Amino acid sequence: MSRFRPSFFIPLIAFLGLAIIGGMALQSTLSGNRNPSQLPSVLIGKAAPDVALPLLQDRQAELALGNFQGQPLLVNFFASWCAPCRAEAPALEQLSEQITIIGIAYKDRRSDTTEFLQQYGNPFTAIGMDIDGRAGIVWGVYGVPETYLIDTAGRIQWRHAGPLTRDVITTQLLPQMAEMQ
Amino acid sequence: MGLTEFGHFALISAFVLSLIQSAVPLYGAARQDMQLMLIGPAAALSAAIASLIAFGALVTAFIRSDFSVALVANHSHSAKPLIYKISGTWGNHEGSLLLWILILMIYGAVLALSGRGMPTRLKARILAVQGMISSGFLAFSLFTSNPFARLADAPMDGKGLNPILQDPGLAIHPPMLYLGYVGLSIAFAFAVAGLISGDVDRLWAKWMRPWIMAAWCALTLGIALGSWWAYYELGWGGWWFWDPVENASLMPWLAATALLHSAIVVEKRGQLKSWTVLLAILAFSLSLVGTFIVRSGLLTSVHSFASDPARGVFILGILLVAVGVPLIFYAWRGPRLMTIADFNLKSREGALIANNMLLVVATAIVLLGTFYPLGLEMITGARITVGPPYFDATFNPVMGVLTVIMVFGPVMAWRRGATPRIKTTILAAAVAAAISGIVGIALVNDMAIGALAAVMLIGWLAAGIGADIWAQLRPSPQFSLGARWQRLPRDVLGMWIAHFGIVVFLLGATGDGLFRSEQVVRAKPGDVIEIAGREVTLLRVFERQGPNFQALTAELEYRDAASGRFIARLMPEKRVYTAERQTTTEAAIRPRPGGDDYAVLGDGDDRIGYSLRLYYKPLISWIWGGTALMALGGLVAMTGRRRQSAPNNSEVKTTADVKAMARGRA
Repeated sequence: MSRFRPSFFIPLIAFLGLAIIGGMALQSTLSGNRNPSQLPSVLIGKAAPDVALPLLQDRQAELALGNFQGQPLLVNFFASWCAPCRAEAPALEQLSEQITIIGIAYKDRRSDTTEFLQQYGNPFTAIGMDIDGRAGIVWGVYGVPETYLIDTAGRIQWRHAGPLTRDVITTQLLPQMAEMQ
Repeated sequence: MGLTEFGHFALISAFVLSLIQSAVPLYGAARQDMQLMLIGPAAALSAAIASLIAFGALVTAFIRSDFSVALVANHSHSAKPLIYKISGTWGNHEGSLLLWILILMIYGAVLALSGRGMPTRLKARILAVQGMISSGFLAFSLFTSNPFARLADAPMDGKGLNPILQDPGLAIHPPMLYLGYVGLSIAFAFAVAGLISGDVDRLWAKWMRPWIMAAWCALTLGIALGSWWAYYELGWGGWWFWDPVENASLMPWLAATALLHSAIVVEKRGQLKSWTVLLAILAFSLSLVGTFIVRSGLLTSVHSFASDPARGVFILGILLVAVGVPLIFYAWRGPRLMTIADFNLKSREGALIANNMLLVVATAIVLLGTFYPLGLEMITGARITVGPPYFDATFNPVMGVLTVIMVFGPVMAWRRGATPRIKTTILAAAVAAAISGIVGIALVNDMAIGALAAVMLIGWLAAGIGADIWAQLRPSPQFSLGARWQRLPRDVLGMWIAHFGIVVFLLGATGDGLFRSEQVVRAKPGDVIEIAGREVTLLRVFERQGPNFQALTAELEYRDAASGRFIARLMPEKRVYTAERQTTTEAAIRPRPGGDDYAVLGDGDDRIGYSLRLYYKPLISWIWGGTALMALGGLVAMTGRRRQSAPNNSEVKTTADVKAMARGRA
């Protein structure tokens, strides 16, 4: 009594097709191959932008990344008003034994930055003041803290938005640094 | 036992009650056992009360800032104004899921209480399907997203709520949207019950239509609120971004709009049954996708404030069952609902079928634009978005054709042929389209073809509706205006209002699209910027302390460029929410029917100047005015339906007879 009609299977088949795609996407998201919120930096593999910034200690002098060419660098955007920056301060302190770290104080006041460094330690070889955030725009900074790894040729090799947790350092940063050497 | 644990217990009770609701009435309906069938409404009511208690307990925890509850600690803050403490309840995954469940339960309870004249078996089956949906989501809440989880160490203060969500629009937008999404579950339950019993008839459609209408109205308002929120809160000056989450709400709306029209054909003509069942399944499936795709972490979006891929597995499981099983049913039982095709293309139902085809194509376009990037990424690994150019080129033309048909439908007669008013109506619409096209070309230089089409469509539809109103209400020798008004069915009035809402909406969208002006400048205090016949002076920029944020505020003075007359003072802001260290842009808007002045403050300081974005957006508020009219039209049509008296026996017998005949024939 029930008539079989192939056309009535079309919705089911279409749905199963969509479900398979969704399942695959979910699978790769779960396995960590894909993070929808992680937008790749367009600067990876390109020369680090050299925006002239006044130094924290000396208004007249400018921070030039070119001066550090020939050695790997870590460029860390931070701010005194940012709580995760405090959290990652000890990690930076440790890293400063292995690599030169340049700090860029993002949208911060000199007095606040100085106080922040006194309180949480200063792992930085040099600190530039990005008071109006223009360097942040050129670098494509997503938010502070944000860290860039620069190779001996001055090219950006790796970028991480957010605090450097132990996990990020051991699974991503250190292998990247080892690869460069 | 704390209130929170009591809420948790209530949620578990709701789960158990829902399980009862999904099994017992179904069995009762199969056995024709009235006693068992009546357990359905009782279970639905008690489950609704239990989930109301659960939701109340959670809201109380938020109001009291009880940071020993993990959800409150993660999403609230003691410095937050009370209203945002309350709205913070559904500003996160667990809480919004609970709200979703609560609304589902309330729909179930209203269904249980209403529809006295409704055939008992139909009602029992609908409640059972409704119970299955709620069981699924209660399980999801209890097993993966427990809102009542406690923290061992309660923090001193909470982590706050995403400041972008701290907004009065956001306090009501999700509940309204959920009211729409969840309302479609009733239409879905009707469809599944119809597939189980095979009784899809005119009576079935008559009972279902008000539910579709209610859900559609809420969905319309919910989407409009969301778009309005994006307009004033995101500070980009736009009102629709083709963002995956916006698309996710548009798709069920398009499907529900199609369903709304096809259900009329089932009720009036007894045709398009299996199609209507499919649409009802589709509409609710899409609203499930709409609510939960955001949570699964599958798509990137500005809205993904609550994404977690681990929960995605559960969601995908629910989706598979909730959509897959009815579609298997449809493939198996659907052919029984087929009727002998009996319609002429030149008829009311012909126009409605065209409407359905176009709306389904539009849904498919949005679906493709939303998921194609995901599919492509799976295959090639490249991450792309299709964005507005794709939708402008595909979605807009389809909706344009739909607008053309909107004039034809109402002036066609059922079955075959036209009504006497067709000639004058079409003529009036065509003349108006031509005139507005000519006026448009005269006013705007180099008008794009799409814009010209939009302008002509506005004239076409406005005149078409006007002519139809005139033809139906015009005083004649036999009937005065009042008498004809009295005789006018309420759903016709509702249709006019809703269709006219589209005219108003198109006016707003076209006005903004064609005539908006925009100025992006870097200005220092004292600078004057000219925009759309206004002189805007940046008076000063100052810092200000809000309840839980610090703001940089600009003071702008608007004067008429010609006369120097003072127009307004606008104060756009940039806010830094200290607890969340997030920055938001608060656009200053002066909304007027003629157009909005819209100002956004960017970065800068007194030395180098501040970046300012100024817009003038003509007629833009008509977009939301038009959507509100659409929803109002739906409400008028819904409330105007004659109260259903108990179905007289002859009608029921007819239904059964028809079914028996159909079986006999097959």
